[in-house]
Amino acid sequence: MGYPDNAIYAIVGYVVTTSILVGYAVVLFLRTRKEQRAQR
Amino acid sequence: MTNSNPIERLLKRGWTLTIAALLSLVAVYVRVVYFTPVESTQGPAQKIFYVHVPSAWAALVAFAVTGIVSLLYLKRRDEKLDTIGAASAEVGLVFGAVMLTTGPIWGKVIWGAWWAWDAKLTSTLFLYILFVGYVVLRGAVVDPEMRARFSAVVGILALILVPFIYFSVNMFRTLHPEPPVLRSGGPALPGSMLLTLMLSVVVFSVLYVGFLMVRYSLSVLKDLREKRAADGIS
Amino acid sequence: MASSLLNTALSVAAKDLRIEWRTKTAFASSIVFAVLVLAIFYFSRDTTVVSELDIAPSALWVTFTFASMLGLNRAFLLEQENRAIDAILITDVPRTGVFLGKVLGNLAFVAVVELITLPLFALFFNVPILRPLPALLAVTAMATLAFVTVGTLLSAMVVRTRFAELMLPVLLLPFLVPPVIGAVQITAGLLAYRPLSDFSGWLRLLASFDIAFVAACLLLFDATVEE
Repeated sequence: MGYPDNAIYAIVGYVVTTSILVGYAVVLFLRTRKEQRAQR
Repeated sequence: MTNSNPIERLLKRGWTLTIAALLSLVAVYVRVVYFTPVESTQGPAQKIFYVHVPSAWAALVAFAVTGIVSLLYLKRRDEKLDTIGAASAEVGLVFGAVMLTTGPIWGKVIWGAWWAWDAKLTSTLFLYILFVGYVVLRGAVVDPEMRARFSAVVGILALILVPFIYFSVNMFRTLHPEPPVLRSGGPALPGSMLLTLMLSVVVFSVLYVGFLMVRYSLSVLKDLREKRAADGIS
Repeated sequence: MASSLLNTALSVAAKDLRIEWRTKTAFASSIVFAVLVLAIFYFSRDTTVVSELDIAPSALWVTFTFASMLGLNRAFLLEQENRAIDAILITDVPRTGVFLGKVLGNLAFVAVVELITLPLFALFFNVPILRPLPALLAVTAMATLAFVTVGTLLSAMVVRTRFAELMLPVLLLPFLVPPVIGAVQITAGLLAYRPLSDFSGWLRLLASFDIAFVAACLLLFDATVEE
Protein backbone atom coordinates (compact mmCIF):
# COMPACT_ATOMS: atom_id res chain seq x y z
CA MET A 1 0.00 0.00 0.00
CA GLY A 2 2.65 2.55 0.95
CA TYR A 3 0.26 5.05 2.44
CA PRO A 4 -1.44 5.13 5.87
CA ASP A 5 -4.60 3.10 6.34
CA ASN A 6 -6.85 5.99 7.25
CA ALA A 7 -9.76 5.84 4.84
CA ILE A 8 -12.13 5.99 7.78
CA TYR A 9 -11.43 9.69 8.16
CA ALA A 10 -12.43 10.35 4.58
CA ILE A 11 -15.55 8.23 4.93
CA VAL A 12 -16.67 10.10 8.03
CA GLY A 13 -15.91 13.41 6.36
CA TYR A 14 -17.93 12.57 3.28
CA VAL A 15 -20.84 11.21 5.28
CA VAL A 16 -20.96 14.39 7.36
CA THR A 17 -20.71 16.59 4.28
CA THR A 18 -23.43 14.77 2.43
CA SER A 19 -25.71 14.71 5.46
CA ILE A 20 -25.43 18.43 5.97
CA LEU A 21 -25.96 19.35 2.33
CA VAL A 22 -28.74 16.88 1.67
CA GLY A 23 -30.24 17.67 5.05
CA TYR A 24 -30.45 21.34 4.15
CA ALA A 25 -31.94 20.47 0.76
CA VAL A 26 -34.61 18.44 2.54
CA VAL A 27 -35.34 21.34 4.88
CA LEU A 28 -35.73 23.65 1.90
CA PHE A 29 -37.93 21.08 0.19
CA LEU A 30 -40.26 20.84 3.16
CA ARG A 31 -40.42 24.62 3.36
CA THR A 32 -41.17 24.77 -0.37
CA ARG A 33 -44.04 22.35 0.00
CA LYS A 34 -45.39 24.23 2.96
CA GLU A 35 -45.21 27.52 1.10
CA GLN A 36 -46.87 26.14 -2.02
CA ARG A 37 -49.72 24.79 0.04
CA ALA A 38 -50.14 28.10 1.78
CA GLN A 39 -50.26 29.94 -1.51
CA ARG A 40 -53.47 28.19 -2.52
CA MET B 1 -51.91 35.98 -8.09
CA THR B 2 -50.02 36.57 -11.30
CA ASN B 3 -47.35 38.82 -9.81
CA SER B 4 -45.81 35.89 -7.97
CA ASN B 5 -45.01 34.11 -11.21
CA PRO B 6 -41.46 35.41 -11.77
CA ILE B 7 -40.67 34.34 -8.22
CA GLU B 8 -42.17 30.93 -8.75
CA ARG B 9 -40.07 30.56 -11.86
CA LEU B 10 -37.00 31.54 -9.83
CA LEU B 11 -37.94 28.94 -7.26
CA LYS B 12 -38.25 26.27 -9.92
CA ARG B 13 -34.93 27.22 -11.51
CA GLY B 14 -33.34 27.20 -8.09
CA TRP B 15 -34.55 23.68 -7.49
CA THR B 16 -33.33 22.55 -10.89
CA LEU B 17 -29.86 23.87 -10.13
CA THR B 18 -29.90 22.35 -6.66
CA ILE B 19 -30.89 18.88 -7.84
CA ALA B 20 -28.42 19.06 -10.72
CA ALA B 21 -25.65 20.06 -8.33
CA LEU B 22 -26.47 17.32 -5.84
CA LEU B 23 -26.43 14.71 -8.60
CA SER B 24 -23.16 16.11 -9.93
CA LEU B 25 -21.83 15.88 -6.41
CA VAL B 26 -22.34 12.13 -6.58
CA ALA B 27 -20.36 12.11 -9.82
CA VAL B 28 -17.59 14.05 -8.10
CA TYR B 29 -17.55 11.54 -5.27
CA VAL B 30 -17.14 8.73 -7.79
CA ARG B 31 -14.29 10.58 -9.41
CA VAL B 32 -12.66 11.17 -6.06
CA VAL B 33 -12.83 7.55 -5.04
CA TYR B 34 -12.07 5.76 -8.30
CA PHE B 35 -10.38 8.18 -10.64
CA THR B 36 -8.17 10.30 -8.44
CA PRO B 37 -4.85 8.98 -7.14
CA VAL B 38 -4.30 8.51 -3.44
CA GLU B 39 -1.88 11.00 -1.93
CA SER B 40 1.16 9.11 -0.83
CA THR B 41 1.96 10.69 2.52
CA GLN B 42 -1.54 11.46 3.74
CA GLY B 43 -3.35 8.40 2.48
CA PRO B 44 -6.99 8.14 1.50
CA ALA B 45 -7.98 10.55 4.27
CA GLN B 46 -6.57 13.35 2.17
CA LYS B 47 -9.63 13.03 -0.07
CA ILE B 48 -11.56 15.11 2.44
CA PHE B 49 -9.72 17.97 0.81
CA TYR B 50 -12.03 17.66 -2.20
CA VAL B 51 -15.08 18.61 -0.15
CA HIS B 52 -13.40 20.76 2.50
CA VAL B 53 -11.86 23.33 0.18
CA PRO B 54 -14.95 23.81 -2.01
CA SER B 55 -17.21 24.14 1.03
CA ALA B 56 -14.89 26.77 2.49
CA TRP B 57 -14.95 28.55 -0.85
CA ALA B 58 -18.75 28.44 -0.98
CA ALA B 59 -19.07 29.68 2.60
CA LEU B 60 -16.72 32.58 1.95
CA VAL B 61 -18.57 33.52 -1.23
CA ALA B 62 -21.86 33.37 0.65
CA PHE B 63 -20.62 35.64 3.41
CA ALA B 64 -19.00 38.02 0.95
CA VAL B 65 -22.32 38.29 -0.90
CA THR B 66 -24.04 39.17 2.35
CA GLY B 67 -21.41 41.79 3.09
CA ILE B 68 -21.63 43.40 -0.33
CA VAL B 69 -25.40 43.30 -0.41
CA SER B 70 -25.40 45.00 3.01
CA LEU B 71 -23.40 47.91 1.63
CA LEU B 72 -25.79 48.19 -1.30
CA TYR B 73 -28.81 48.01 0.96
CA LEU B 74 -27.74 51.03 2.97
CA LYS B 75 -27.33 52.98 -0.26
CA ARG B 76 -30.45 51.89 -2.08
CA ARG B 77 -32.78 50.71 0.67
CA ASP B 78 -34.15 48.02 -1.62
CA GLU B 79 -35.80 45.37 0.51
CA LYS B 80 -34.82 42.68 -2.01
CA LEU B 81 -31.16 43.26 -1.17
CA ASP B 82 -31.84 42.53 2.46
CA THR B 83 -33.64 39.32 1.53
CA ILE B 84 -30.70 38.21 -0.60
CA GLY B 85 -28.30 38.98 2.24
CA ALA B 86 -30.32 36.97 4.72
CA ALA B 87 -30.68 34.03 2.34
CA SER B 88 -26.98 34.07 1.56
CA ALA B 89 -26.09 34.19 5.25
CA GLU B 90 -28.19 31.13 5.96
CA VAL B 91 -26.70 29.19 3.05
CA GLY B 92 -23.26 30.35 4.21
CA LEU B 93 -23.88 28.83 7.62
CA VAL B 94 -24.70 25.50 5.96
CA PHE B 95 -21.52 25.42 3.87
CA GLY B 96 -19.62 26.77 6.84
CA ALA B 97 -20.82 23.86 8.93
CA VAL B 98 -19.39 21.48 6.34
CA MET B 99 -16.14 23.46 6.33
CA LEU B 100 -15.81 23.49 10.12
CA THR B 101 -16.50 19.77 10.47
CA THR B 102 -14.38 18.50 7.57
CA GLY B 103 -11.57 20.87 8.52
CA PRO B 104 -10.74 19.36 11.88
CA ILE B 105 -11.09 15.83 10.48
CA TRP B 106 -8.52 16.67 7.83
CA GLY B 107 -6.43 18.49 10.42
CA LYS B 108 -6.28 15.39 12.57
CA VAL B 109 -4.89 13.53 9.59
CA ILE B 110 -2.26 15.98 8.44
CA TRP B 111 -1.22 17.60 11.72
CA GLY B 112 -2.31 15.06 14.30
CA ALA B 113 -4.38 17.80 15.95
CA TRP B 114 -8.09 18.52 15.62
CA TRP B 115 -7.53 22.26 15.62
CA ALA B 116 -4.76 24.81 15.16
CA TRP B 117 -5.04 28.52 15.77
CA ASP B 118 -3.56 29.62 12.51
CA ALA B 119 -4.72 32.64 10.54
CA LYS B 120 -6.96 30.84 8.06
CA LEU B 121 -8.78 28.63 10.53
CA THR B 122 -9.19 31.35 13.11
CA SER B 123 -10.54 33.85 10.59
CA THR B 124 -13.04 31.39 9.16
CA LEU B 125 -14.15 30.34 12.62
CA PHE B 126 -14.79 33.90 13.67
CA LEU B 127 -16.47 34.72 10.40
CA TYR B 128 -18.81 31.83 11.09
CA ILE B 129 -19.48 33.08 14.61
CA LEU B 130 -20.18 36.56 13.26
CA PHE B 131 -22.77 35.16 10.92
CA VAL B 132 -24.39 33.12 13.63
CA GLY B 133 -24.67 36.45 15.44
CA TYR B 134 -26.11 38.02 12.29
CA VAL B 135 -28.82 35.38 12.04
CA VAL B 136 -29.57 35.58 15.76
CA LEU B 137 -29.84 39.36 15.53
CA ARG B 138 -32.30 39.04 12.67
CA GLY B 139 -34.35 36.69 14.77
CA ALA B 140 -34.47 39.19 17.61
CA VAL B 141 -35.73 42.19 15.62
CA VAL B 142 -39.37 42.21 14.66
CA ASP B 143 -39.75 45.26 12.47
CA PRO B 144 -38.59 44.34 8.94
CA GLU B 145 -37.11 47.73 8.12
CA MET B 146 -35.14 47.88 11.35
CA ARG B 147 -34.06 44.30 10.84
CA ALA B 148 -32.78 45.12 7.37
CA ARG B 149 -30.87 48.15 8.60
CA PHE B 150 -29.30 46.36 11.56
CA SER B 151 -28.35 43.36 9.44
CA ALA B 152 -26.72 45.67 6.94
CA VAL B 153 -24.67 47.36 9.66
CA VAL B 154 -23.47 44.06 11.09
CA GLY B 155 -22.75 42.77 7.58
CA ILE B 156 -20.57 45.75 6.79
CA LEU B 157 -18.74 45.61 10.12
CA ALA B 158 -18.08 41.90 9.55
CA LEU B 159 -16.69 42.63 6.10
CA ILE B 160 -14.21 45.11 7.59
CA LEU B 161 -13.30 42.87 10.51
CA VAL B 162 -12.32 39.67 8.79
CA PRO B 163 -9.11 40.92 7.12
CA PHE B 164 -8.02 42.30 10.52
CA ILE B 165 -8.52 38.93 12.18
CA TYR B 166 -6.55 37.27 9.42
CA PHE B 167 -3.62 39.70 9.67
CA SER B 168 -3.49 39.75 13.44
CA VAL B 169 -3.43 35.98 13.73
CA ASN B 170 -0.90 35.83 10.90
CA MET B 171 1.38 38.24 12.72
CA PHE B 172 0.96 36.20 15.90
CA ARG B 173 1.83 33.02 14.07
CA THR B 174 4.97 34.34 12.46
CA LEU B 175 6.16 35.21 15.95
CA HIS B 176 5.02 31.98 17.56
CA PRO B 177 5.06 29.25 14.95
CA GLU B 178 3.94 25.86 16.09
CA PRO B 179 5.15 22.52 14.79
CA PRO B 180 2.16 21.61 12.64
CA VAL B 181 2.59 24.39 10.13
CA LEU B 182 -0.27 24.41 7.73
CA ARG B 183 0.50 24.19 4.09
CA SER B 184 -2.76 24.77 2.27
CA GLY B 185 -3.37 21.56 0.40
CA GLY B 186 0.29 20.63 0.33
CA PRO B 187 2.78 21.08 -2.49
CA ALA B 188 1.58 21.81 -6.02
CA LEU B 189 -1.17 19.41 -6.97
CA PRO B 190 -0.68 16.96 -9.79
CA GLY B 191 -3.05 17.54 -12.71
CA SER B 192 -5.53 14.82 -11.92
CA MET B 193 -6.06 16.00 -8.37
CA LEU B 194 -6.30 19.61 -9.46
CA LEU B 195 -8.99 18.70 -11.96
CA THR B 196 -11.00 16.87 -9.31
CA LEU B 197 -10.71 19.86 -7.02
CA MET B 198 -11.84 22.24 -9.74
CA LEU B 199 -14.80 20.05 -10.61
CA SER B 200 -15.80 19.94 -6.99
CA VAL B 201 -15.51 23.71 -6.66
CA VAL B 202 -17.76 24.18 -9.67
CA VAL B 203 -20.37 21.78 -8.29
CA PHE B 204 -20.33 23.45 -4.89
CA SER B 205 -20.68 26.85 -6.52
CA VAL B 206 -23.70 25.72 -8.51
CA LEU B 207 -25.14 24.23 -5.35
CA TYR B 208 -24.65 27.55 -3.56
CA VAL B 209 -26.47 29.41 -6.30
CA GLY B 210 -29.28 26.84 -6.32
CA PHE B 211 -29.73 27.01 -2.54
CA LEU B 212 -29.61 30.80 -2.66
CA MET B 213 -32.27 31.00 -5.35
CA VAL B 214 -34.58 28.64 -3.48
CA ARG B 215 -34.06 30.28 -0.12
CA TYR B 216 -34.55 33.74 -1.57
CA SER B 217 -37.70 32.77 -3.45
CA LEU B 218 -39.21 31.18 -0.37
CA SER B 219 -38.65 34.38 1.61
CA VAL B 220 -40.18 36.55 -1.07
CA LEU B 221 -43.18 34.26 -1.50
CA LYS B 222 -43.76 34.22 2.23
CA ASP B 223 -43.55 38.01 2.41
CA LEU B 224 -45.96 38.43 -0.49
CA ARG B 225 -48.41 36.02 1.04
CA GLU B 226 -48.26 37.80 4.40
CA LYS B 227 -48.74 41.16 2.74
CA ARG B 228 -51.77 39.84 0.86
CA ALA B 229 -53.22 38.46 4.07
CA ALA B 230 -52.67 41.75 5.86
CA ASP B 231 -54.26 43.69 2.98
CA GLY B 232 -57.14 41.27 2.90
CA ILE B 233 -57.95 41.92 6.53
CA SER B 234 -57.68 45.69 6.47
CA MET C 1 -21.29 72.80 12.58
CA ALA C 2 -18.21 71.21 14.05
CA SER C 3 -18.72 73.04 17.30
CA SER C 4 -22.32 71.87 17.64
CA LEU C 5 -21.07 68.34 17.03
CA LEU C 6 -18.56 68.66 19.83
CA ASN C 7 -21.05 70.38 22.11
CA THR C 8 -23.57 67.65 21.58
CA ALA C 9 -20.97 64.99 22.22
CA LEU C 10 -19.79 66.60 25.42
CA SER C 11 -23.29 67.18 26.78
CA VAL C 12 -24.36 63.61 26.07
CA ALA C 13 -21.19 62.29 27.70
CA ALA C 14 -21.61 64.57 30.68
CA LYS C 15 -25.22 63.53 31.16
CA ASP C 16 -24.35 59.84 31.11
CA LEU C 17 -21.46 60.26 33.50
CA ARG C 18 -23.52 62.37 35.91
CA ILE C 19 -26.17 59.67 36.08
CA GLU C 20 -23.49 57.08 36.60
CA TRP C 21 -21.74 59.07 39.29
CA ARG C 22 -24.90 59.37 41.36
CA THR C 23 -25.19 55.66 41.95
CA LYS C 24 -21.58 54.51 41.47
CA THR C 25 -22.74 50.90 41.57
CA ALA C 26 -21.38 50.15 38.13
CA PHE C 27 -17.96 51.51 39.04
CA ALA C 28 -17.87 49.53 42.23
CA SER C 29 -18.95 46.27 40.66
CA SER C 30 -16.51 46.66 37.76
CA ILE C 31 -13.61 47.15 40.12
CA VAL C 32 -14.59 44.24 42.33
CA PHE C 33 -14.98 42.15 39.19
CA ALA C 34 -11.52 43.15 37.99
CA VAL C 35 -9.95 42.16 41.30
CA LEU C 36 -11.67 38.78 41.22
CA VAL C 37 -10.57 38.04 37.67
CA LEU C 38 -6.98 38.95 38.48
CA ALA C 39 -7.10 36.70 41.53
CA ILE C 40 -8.45 33.78 39.55
CA PHE C 41 -5.73 34.14 36.94
CA TYR C 42 -3.09 34.33 39.62
CA PHE C 43 -4.20 31.21 41.40
CA SER C 44 -5.18 29.10 38.44
CA ARG C 45 -1.70 28.21 37.32
CA ASP C 46 1.03 25.72 38.11
CA THR C 47 3.47 28.07 39.82
CA THR C 48 6.42 25.83 39.03
CA VAL C 49 5.78 26.15 35.31
CA VAL C 50 4.06 29.47 34.74
CA SER C 51 5.68 32.58 36.15
CA GLU C 52 3.74 35.68 37.11
CA LEU C 53 5.23 37.50 34.19
CA ASP C 54 4.05 34.79 31.81
CA ILE C 55 0.43 35.03 32.78
CA ALA C 56 0.27 38.72 33.61
CA PRO C 57 -0.48 40.20 30.17
CA SER C 58 -3.32 37.74 29.52
CA ALA C 59 -4.76 38.36 32.97
CA LEU C 60 -4.69 42.10 32.46
CA TRP C 61 -6.33 42.03 29.08
CA VAL C 62 -9.04 39.54 29.93
CA THR C 63 -9.85 41.81 32.86
CA PHE C 64 -9.90 44.93 30.71
CA THR C 65 -12.03 43.28 28.04
CA PHE C 66 -14.66 42.04 30.43
CA ALA C 67 -14.66 45.29 32.38
CA SER C 68 -15.30 47.13 29.11
CA MET C 69 -18.21 44.87 28.35
CA LEU C 70 -19.67 45.45 31.79
CA GLY C 71 -19.34 49.16 31.18
CA LEU C 72 -21.11 48.92 27.85
CA ASN C 73 -23.85 46.81 29.36
CA ARG C 74 -24.63 49.32 32.05
CA ALA C 75 -24.62 52.11 29.50
CA PHE C 76 -27.36 50.68 27.48
CA LEU C 77 -29.36 49.40 30.44
CA LEU C 78 -29.52 53.05 31.34
CA GLU C 79 -30.94 53.78 27.91
CA GLN C 80 -33.39 50.96 28.00
CA GLU C 81 -34.89 52.22 31.19
CA ASN C 82 -35.27 55.78 30.13
CA ARG C 83 -35.54 55.57 26.33
CA ALA C 84 -33.75 58.85 26.71
CA ILE C 85 -32.08 58.45 23.42
CA ASP C 86 -35.39 58.70 21.61
CA ALA C 87 -36.01 62.06 23.21
CA ILE C 88 -32.62 63.29 22.13
CA LEU C 89 -33.04 62.07 18.60
CA ILE C 90 -36.33 63.84 18.08
CA THR C 91 -34.50 67.11 18.44
CA ASP C 92 -32.33 68.71 15.81
CA VAL C 93 -29.13 67.57 17.39
CA PRO C 94 -26.51 66.06 15.03
CA ARG C 95 -26.69 62.26 15.22
CA THR C 96 -22.97 61.77 14.98
CA GLY C 97 -22.60 64.04 17.99
CA VAL C 98 -24.89 61.79 20.00
CA PHE C 99 -22.84 58.76 19.06
CA LEU C 100 -19.60 60.51 19.86
CA GLY C 101 -21.01 61.51 23.21
CA LYS C 102 -22.03 57.95 24.05
CA VAL C 103 -18.58 56.74 23.08
CA LEU C 104 -16.89 59.40 25.19
CA GLY C 105 -19.06 58.58 28.17
CA ASN C 106 -18.31 54.88 27.86
CA LEU C 107 -14.61 55.57 27.33
CA ALA C 108 -14.50 57.67 30.47
CA PHE C 109 -16.16 54.94 32.51
CA VAL C 110 -13.88 52.22 31.20
CA ALA C 111 -10.82 54.43 31.55
CA VAL C 112 -11.50 54.97 35.23
CA VAL C 113 -11.92 51.25 35.80
CA GLU C 114 -8.70 50.53 33.91
CA LEU C 115 -6.73 53.19 35.76
CA ILE C 116 -7.79 51.75 39.08
CA THR C 117 -7.14 48.18 37.95
CA LEU C 118 -3.65 48.84 36.63
CA PRO C 119 -1.91 49.52 39.95
CA LEU C 120 -3.80 46.61 41.53
CA PHE C 121 -2.53 44.45 38.71
CA ALA C 122 1.05 45.59 39.27
CA LEU C 123 0.66 44.84 42.94
CA PHE C 124 -0.88 41.38 42.59
CA PHE C 125 1.38 40.14 39.84
CA ASN C 126 4.51 41.86 40.99
CA VAL C 127 5.22 43.27 37.54
CA PRO C 128 7.06 46.50 36.75
CA ILE C 129 4.64 48.96 35.24
CA LEU C 130 6.31 52.23 36.16
CA ARG C 131 9.06 52.26 33.59
CA PRO C 132 6.93 51.34 30.59
CA LEU C 133 3.94 53.26 31.96
CA PRO C 134 3.47 55.83 29.17
CA ALA C 135 3.70 53.16 26.48
CA LEU C 136 1.39 50.89 28.47
CA LEU C 137 -1.17 53.65 28.79
CA ALA C 138 -0.94 54.42 25.10
CA VAL C 139 -1.54 50.80 24.12
CA THR C 140 -4.39 50.50 26.59
CA ALA C 141 -5.97 53.62 25.16
CA MET C 142 -5.75 52.34 21.59
CA ALA C 143 -7.24 48.96 22.36
CA THR C 144 -9.94 50.38 24.62
CA LEU C 145 -10.95 52.86 21.94
CA ALA C 146 -11.52 49.90 19.62
CA PHE C 147 -13.69 47.92 22.08
CA VAL C 148 -15.72 50.86 23.20
CA THR C 149 -16.45 52.33 19.77
CA VAL C 150 -17.67 49.10 18.23
CA GLY C 151 -19.38 48.12 21.48
CA THR C 152 -21.29 51.40 21.64
CA LEU C 153 -22.52 51.03 18.07
CA LEU C 154 -23.62 47.46 18.66
CA SER C 155 -25.32 48.48 21.92
CA ALA C 156 -27.31 51.11 20.06
CA MET C 157 -28.81 48.35 17.93
CA VAL C 158 -29.04 45.61 20.48
CA VAL C 159 -30.88 47.75 23.04
CA ARG C 160 -33.94 47.58 20.83
CA THR C 161 -34.01 43.80 20.67
CA ARG C 162 -35.06 41.09 23.03
CA PHE C 163 -32.21 39.25 24.80
CA ALA C 164 -30.10 42.36 24.58
CA GLU C 165 -27.68 41.36 27.36
CA LEU C 166 -26.89 38.12 25.54
CA MET C 167 -26.66 39.63 22.09
CA LEU C 168 -24.05 42.22 22.90
CA PRO C 169 -21.23 39.84 23.88
CA VAL C 170 -22.06 37.45 21.03
CA LEU C 171 -21.84 40.21 18.45
CA LEU C 172 -18.95 42.09 20.05
CA LEU C 173 -16.47 39.34 20.89
CA PRO C 174 -15.17 38.71 17.35
CA PHE C 175 -14.35 42.42 17.14
CA LEU C 176 -12.21 42.22 20.23
CA VAL C 177 -9.85 39.61 18.80
CA PRO C 178 -7.44 41.75 16.73
CA PRO C 179 -7.04 44.57 19.29
CA VAL C 180 -6.59 42.14 22.17
CA ILE C 181 -3.98 40.08 20.35
CA GLY C 182 -2.03 43.25 19.61
CA ALA C 183 -2.46 44.66 23.10
CA VAL C 184 -1.35 41.47 24.82
CA GLN C 185 1.71 41.06 22.63
CA ILE C 186 2.82 44.61 23.25
CA THR C 187 2.05 44.47 26.97
CA ALA C 188 4.07 41.28 27.34
CA GLY C 189 7.00 42.96 25.65
CA LEU C 190 6.73 46.16 27.66
CA LEU C 191 6.65 44.28 30.95
CA ALA C 192 9.85 42.58 29.86
CA TYR C 193 11.39 46.02 29.29
CA ARG C 194 11.44 45.80 25.53
CA PRO C 195 11.12 49.16 23.79
CA LEU C 196 7.89 50.12 22.08
CA SER C 197 9.73 50.36 18.78
CA ASP C 198 10.04 46.58 18.77
CA PHE C 199 6.34 46.36 18.18
CA SER C 200 5.77 48.57 15.19
CA GLY C 201 3.79 45.86 13.41
CA TRP C 202 1.33 45.46 16.25
CA LEU C 203 1.08 49.20 16.75
CA ARG C 204 0.26 49.62 13.08
CA LEU C 205 -2.41 46.97 13.42
CA LEU C 206 -3.97 48.67 16.43
CA ALA C 207 -3.85 52.08 14.83
CA SER C 208 -5.38 50.96 11.55
CA PHE C 209 -8.04 49.00 13.42
CA ASP C 210 -8.94 52.12 15.40
CA ILE C 211 -9.06 54.31 12.33
CA ALA C 212 -11.10 51.83 10.29
CA PHE C 213 -13.64 51.14 12.99
CA VAL C 214 -14.05 54.62 14.41
CA ALA C 215 -14.71 55.84 10.88
CA ALA C 216 -17.05 52.98 10.07
CA CYS C 217 -19.01 53.33 13.30
CA LEU C 218 -19.38 57.09 12.91
CA LEU C 219 -20.74 56.56 9.42
CA LEU C 220 -22.98 53.66 10.34
CA PHE C 221 -24.54 55.13 13.49
CA ASP C 222 -27.12 57.02 11.49
CA ALA C 223 -28.40 53.77 10.05
CA THR C 224 -28.99 52.36 13.50
CA VAL C 225 -31.24 55.10 14.79
CA GLU C 226 -33.24 56.56 11.99
CA GLU C 227 -36.98 56.40 12.55
